[in-house]
Amino acid sequence: MAEFSWDVRSPLDRALVAGQYGAQGDAGVSLTEIRNFDLVQVIVRRGKAADTAQAAKARFGVATPETPKAVQTTDATLIWSGPDQFFVLSKDGKHGTEALAQPFASSASLSDQSHARVLISISGARARTMLAKLSSIDLHHDAFALGAAAATSMDHTSVTLWRGNDRDGLAVFNVLVFATFAESLWHTILDSAAEYGVAISHSEELA
Amino acid sequence: MRITCPFCGERELGEFTYLGDAKPVRPVAGASEGEVFDYVYLRDNIAGVMSENWYHGGGCRAWLKVTRNTLTHEISAVEPAAGVGAAKVGA
Repeated sequence: MAEFSWDVRSPLDRALVAGQYGAQGDAGVSLTEIRNFDLVQVIVRRGKAADTAQAAKARFGVATPETPKAVQTTDATLIWSGPDQFFVLSKDGKHGTEALAQPFASSASLSDQSHARVLISISGARARTMLAKLSSIDLHHDAFALGAAAATSMDHTSVTLWRGNDRDGLAVFNVLVFATFAESLWHTILDSAAEYGVAISHSEELA
Repeated sequence: MRITCPFCGERELGEFTYLGDAKPVRPVAGASEGEVFDYVYLRDNIAGVMSENWYHGGGCRAWLKVTRNTLTHEISAVEPAAGVGAAKVGA
């Protein structure tokens, strides 16, 4: 029987080339792929909204996002992804599917999306200008403040978008995209960002 | 045209898919052939205010019931379709 060696690789393994891209000089946009995260989709069962909220509060110490927003705790981020559903983003299995199975056993259904999505963190002085080419959502600070989230589309691709904590005084936009669409969206982002200069990297650290 | 999703807020038309008239109701089991034929095939071609099903597939993936004027494209109401979201039923 053939021996198989399964390597865990990012869906952007081929497309992502770390370093500078596009216009020379100071990069206006920085793109960081976040790798090796745990992502669980939590979907409330019928009539169990209150039970799920209670279970989440007990587990995470915060209220679940019931409107489009992302809620950060010390070791997890809860991101609204639709009516009565949200993502739990964390690292090192702390809040992975196995860890969450028991707390949500009687209220919500879980689906492990850790290897089904790619997480791209977008920041830089020209990040908003670049994103304006891809998204019809108003990302101005007054309209899309810290912790704002949206289930939306970029380049006809469904994404979950939310604003994380600022880095170096600049806004950080996180994009979760389906793994099989990630390479296509990545190239679209690169094309859109090239004129501003891009700094490309990947990281194991959740922003 | 923009649609104000009750969950997401105002979004561009491209995020939505049109399904059609929200009025037809599936006949009960054992309904006459005429009633089933009407439900499956016969549609009103409304010039004016119409109740329509739309799908927010490019966003929160909720089904919506949109009240739209087919002459002016003016949208007067958007609400979640029946059964959308666990919180809407039995909560």
